[in-house]
Amino acid sequence: MKLDLDQLRALIRLLDEANLTEIEVSHDDDRIRVCRQPSPLPGATATELAAPATPGSVPASTASGTEDDDRAYVTSPFVGTFYRSPSPNGDPFVDVGDPIVPGQVLCIVEAMKLMNEIEAEVDGTIVEILVENGKPVEYGDRLFRVEIS
Amino acid sequence: MFGKVLIANRGEIAVRVIRSCRELGLRTVAVHSEIDADALHTRLADEAICIGPADPSRSYLHIPAIIAAAEITGADAVHPGYGFLSENPEFAETCAQCGLLFIGPLPEQMRLWGDKVSARALAKSLGLPIIEGTELIEDIEDAVRKAESLGFPVLLKASGGGGGRGMHVLQSKEALRAVFETARAESRAAFGNDSLYFEKFLERPRHIEFQILGDMQGNIRVLGERECSIQRRHQKILEEAPSVALTDEMRDDVSATIERAMREVGYLSAGTLEFLLDERGQLTFLEMNPRIQVEHPVTELVMGIDLIAEQIRIADGQPLELPPQPLAPRGHAIECRINAEDPDTFAPSPGMITELHMAGGTGVRVDSGIFGGGRVPAYYDPLVAKLIVHARTRAQAIAKMRRALRETIIGGIRTNIPLHQRILEHPAFEEGRISTGFLDDLQARRMLTAPVRHE
Repeated sequence: MKLDLDQLRALIRLLDEANLTEIEVSHDDDRIRVCRQPSPLPGATATELAAPATPGSVPASTASGTEDDDRAYVTSPFVGTFYRSPSPNGDPFVDVGDPIVPGQVLCIVEAMKLMNEIEAEVDGTIVEILVENGKPVEYGDRLFRVEIS
Repeated sequence: MFGKVLIANRGEIAVRVIRSCRELGLRTVAVHSEIDADALHTRLADEAICIGPADPSRSYLHIPAIIAAAEITGADAVHPGYGFLSENPEFAETCAQCGLLFIGPLPEQMRLWGDKVSARALAKSLGLPIIEGTELIEDIEDAVRKAESLGFPVLLKASGGGGGRGMHVLQSKEALRAVFETARAESRAAFGNDSLYFEKFLERPRHIEFQILGDMQGNIRVLGERECSIQRRHQKILEEAPSVALTDEMRDDVSATIERAMREVGYLSAGTLEFLLDERGQLTFLEMNPRIQVEHPVTELVMGIDLIAEQIRIADGQPLELPPQPLAPRGHAIECRINAEDPDTFAPSPGMITELHMAGGTGVRVDSGIFGGGRVPAYYDPLVAKLIVHARTRAQAIAKMRRALRETIIGGIRTNIPLHQRILEHPAFEEGRISTGFLDDLQARRMLTAPVRHE
């Protein structure tokens, strides 16, 4: 099957008209799959705490939640160091089993000496904490698994 | 020496820097955007950190993310490559404030040469020949006066521009009136600065540039020239070293002037001074690029030097070990920039690389950022690889490059390899009769004679 732009357009139209999320057509060894992204689940937002100490500021950004059944992941919007509590000896912001509400601080990701609070965007329960306190995290790393209520 | 270098770049130059670091026994950290999670530089470095989404302003240009990546990996030095943050003085300063060694020129040098008008004045005061030009233009009436006193055709340039961007060739007063406000708005949008000025427009110049290195002890070495006249819309496509247009006497003269000038400003690390060579054999200063350049390998081959390794050694405080002047080039080197673009329309051609075979054999070097099964993202520069050859003579280098281009297979995306083949087959190129107008002439003729293609 040679990929024909018109055929592809027709598939996309069909997807839309029938309100499907995915169509797969196969013929001999060829396969075309057209799918649309499920609407993203809310994850978490980061709030900038202090004024930047150096030129180039850390912008607040929204971390994307990733769908996994009825659960979602809170991902890191920054490269930095992950902290579970506001101070080295303080209590953690959240623990497994804790309910969370939008706007609630879940952790801190430190980048360039700035403590960035990561806030929840959804109502739910913390199911798993995926990073150890004090460990480095990359952009997009999963920090928490949340069961959405 | 420091032990771990973070490379704040992607693509072939990030791979190039990783190679020199590894040969010097240094560990490497790659930073990458989400879309570059499987890129070659990400795979080749000892460690890799995802610093943001594909949009470069939120990843490769995002200073806090890069600094944070250095912090969490314990890198103690940063190499910026070219493009992205390489000429950003704030980035160099932020690195220093965060205890990271910036492998490159000093931030004050970036500021000094970054503004075209002040760079011209500085070059003049240092005894470098500069092209006839004007002070900053005040308004349209002032522009007309200045252009007429300089004499049409003129080049209207943005003071904050560079790298061939922000220029208009104007043949008449009417043309000037027509574009002036647009040019001013463009400059403001592109460079955050709407200062414009004029330079005399040269019809068929050659682009000749000189590579320099400076160390912390104040030594300066001029490492000969590169000819980069094969350009499309001021973007270089094919470069060579040495230039057939320079005599030994001219080379030695200019090198001596550059050496004195760069010693006077205390230049540190690698840099390139770009010149135009007019039809009467006059070299005039164009701009200074305080960074490593894309076409640095042709200099490396004819000079027998690793410029990235030298940058690293210089940043470590070691003195240059090169013999004093004059350094003579050995043989001839040519570089072809392989871009992911249509060879006729120049439309970008990102996508999956389905098969890849890069040329090899004696005298062939490949600096590449791609691999079979890898993806060329649409977000970044179309340069995917550089094919570089070195031979005893220019004619042999041309033969070798033709052979190397024929061997190279890049499937799944379009590349400008056919364009390089046309250039290398052209009698005028073979004879060394080239100028910055060469490619436009070649394309114009081709448009007239090429059969219509059906695809």
